[in-house]
Amino acid sequence: MSAAGHALAIRGLTKRYGDFTAVDDVSLEVGQGEFLTLLGPSGSGKTTILMAVAGFVAPSAGSILLDGRDITPLPPEKRNFGMVFQGYALFPHMSVADNVAFPLRVRGLGRADRDAKVRAALDLVQLGQFAGRLPRQLSGGQQQRVALARALVFDPSLLLLDEPLSALDKKLRAELQEELKALHRRVGRTFINVTHDQDEALSLSDRIAILNHGKLIQSGAPGELYERPRTRFVADFLGKSNFIEGSVASSDAGGFVLAAGPERIAVRGQGAPEGTRRLLSLRPEKIVLLGEGAGADNVVEGRLLAWSYLGADFALRVATPGLGEIRAVLPAWQAAFAPAEGLPIRLGWSADAAVPVEDDAP
Amino acid sequence: MDGIHPPGPAARGLAWATALYLLLPILIIVPVALTDQRYLSLPQDGISFQHFRTVLASPEWLGSIWQSFTIAVAATILSVVAGTLCAIGCWRISRRATELVRVLMLLPLIIPSIVYAIGLYRYFGPLGLLDRFAGVVIAHGVTGIPYVVITVSTALAAFDPRLEQAARGMGASLSQTLRWVILPRIAPGIFSGAIFAFIHSWDELVMVLFIASRDVFTLPRRIWDGINENLDPAMAAVAVLLVLFTTLLLMVDRALRRRSEG
Repeated sequence: MSAAGHALAIRGLTKRYGDFTAVDDVSLEVGQGEFLTLLGPSGSGKTTILMAVAGFVAPSAGSILLDGRDITPLPPEKRNFGMVFQGYALFPHMSVADNVAFPLRVRGLGRADRDAKVRAALDLVQLGQFAGRLPRQLSGGQQQRVALARALVFDPSLLLLDEPLSALDKKLRAELQEELKALHRRVGRTFINVTHDQDEALSLSDRIAILNHGKLIQSGAPGELYERPRTRFVADFLGKSNFIEGSVASSDAGGFVLAAGPERIAVRGQGAPEGTRRLLSLRPEKIVLLGEGAGADNVVEGRLLAWSYLGADFALRVATPGLGEIRAVLPAWQAAFAPAEGLPIRLGWSADAAVPVEDDAP
Repeated sequence: MDGIHPPGPAARGLAWATALYLLLPILIIVPVALTDQRYLSLPQDGISFQHFRTVLASPEWLGSIWQSFTIAVAATILSVVAGTLCAIGCWRISRRATELVRVLMLLPLIIPSIVYAIGLYRYFGPLGLLDRFAGVVIAHGVTGIPYVVITVSTALAAFDPRLEQAARGMGASLSQTLRWVILPRIAPGIFSGAIFAFIHSWDELVMVLFIASRDVFTLPRRIWDGINENLDPAMAAVAVLLVLFTTLLLMVDRALRRRSEG
């Protein structure tokens, strides 16, 4: 299969069902060969956007462009997009080979060409020896790979994936995530994936678009979204976060100091007008445990409230007089102390660790 | 499983009585058909196959069997095509109006066939369809539609609509989707409907009494006339053949269903 990525542009996409707005003025660009994930909780409109791109949902407003050409009015069968459905939607009465041959058959391809392409597609997903089986004779992971082969065999302009891994157990999911990523690199096509699983989104995507209540909240590379969440929702949905609210006590070119209760929190970055309210997002893994006498840009003292040992990590909940409850996660091998309720704890973090976010949560 | 006890003697007895009540009237014709007497009676000095021989050698009986068969086949084709298209149409559009269409399609089942037959008689006269092969095929075909609509709708209810989306998404036109995806999935439902529509036409008497007289003389009609005119045990022999044939069709239906489930 040749590398032939196509670019997709979604412009002002809106979908209303009566009074309910499922998708609200979403604009997105997907570059050639890019792996984009639409991430959001259920009801965020991510599947509606995918279905509109596939052509199964007619937008109430806005347009969808493929390489600059408006494809909004085209029915799904004219769009030449591959799609992997939730639950795979394999044809149960056809063998694996016939399933994969289906898109070629509807295009009137001759038997010889068809057989060669089906074999190549099944080899691509390492299922060559299962060609004669029926879908129900395969495991969930194998069915998922058949669905992928079927969606890729006809050289589609785009591959659309609707929660492709949600039906699999955790271990298999991790395995197929890697396979999917490798497949994306191999075929060099543009993939659009829908999921509510933040880990899947982070590990697979070149870019993530986070949606909530039908609106696009933020889009960007996984690391960018994780490190610089624009809003409280993004910080909370993508990973875990502590939130610290306060007012700006002082500010200069190198950052500002936030007064949160009795504490003074140094934040490096842009300055902020004195006296304005600011909300900070602080990732639990950026907090370190400070021994006696050790220092950090920000130091907060508190008492241990609860803890969980997670093998690799050690998660703490610490009650602080100034900032309320703070969650911290540290590598378990660094937690060289015997946890006990009420144990005095000193937490510290650098001035880079906390980032200001917009407060969009209700 | 808890809560399931073996049935007591009373329940057992009732179940057997019900089964016998259903089966005996059908089974009684078997000894009657094998009678050695010249009138409708139980065998007295031994069994005899003479009445089967009479039926299978009689041009009238054979003619009626053939006529009934061809009418049933043609009527079944009509029922299956119209019923399947109607069920698929209602399923795809799936609005409140289609519920009305479904109920309308069931009317021939709900209305007593004698009422239907009177109506047909009034219409078929001016149309020149009385006592015609086509007339009986239309009457039986239309009244057989409900069986097909019911069985195909049931099959469609179990059909995963994502399969249709998948087919369309991969570039299949509506007719390709219908031929390669929808029809193979609902084929068992269509077969079931076809068998019921066939049986419906095969043993239908009331309408035939109204809209056919001499040229079209179906098997049930000949049995009916035979009973009215003479009590020839040949009728019992025909009835046995009829029951065997119907049972065979039902067994085919069951086998097909089991295969589609397995």
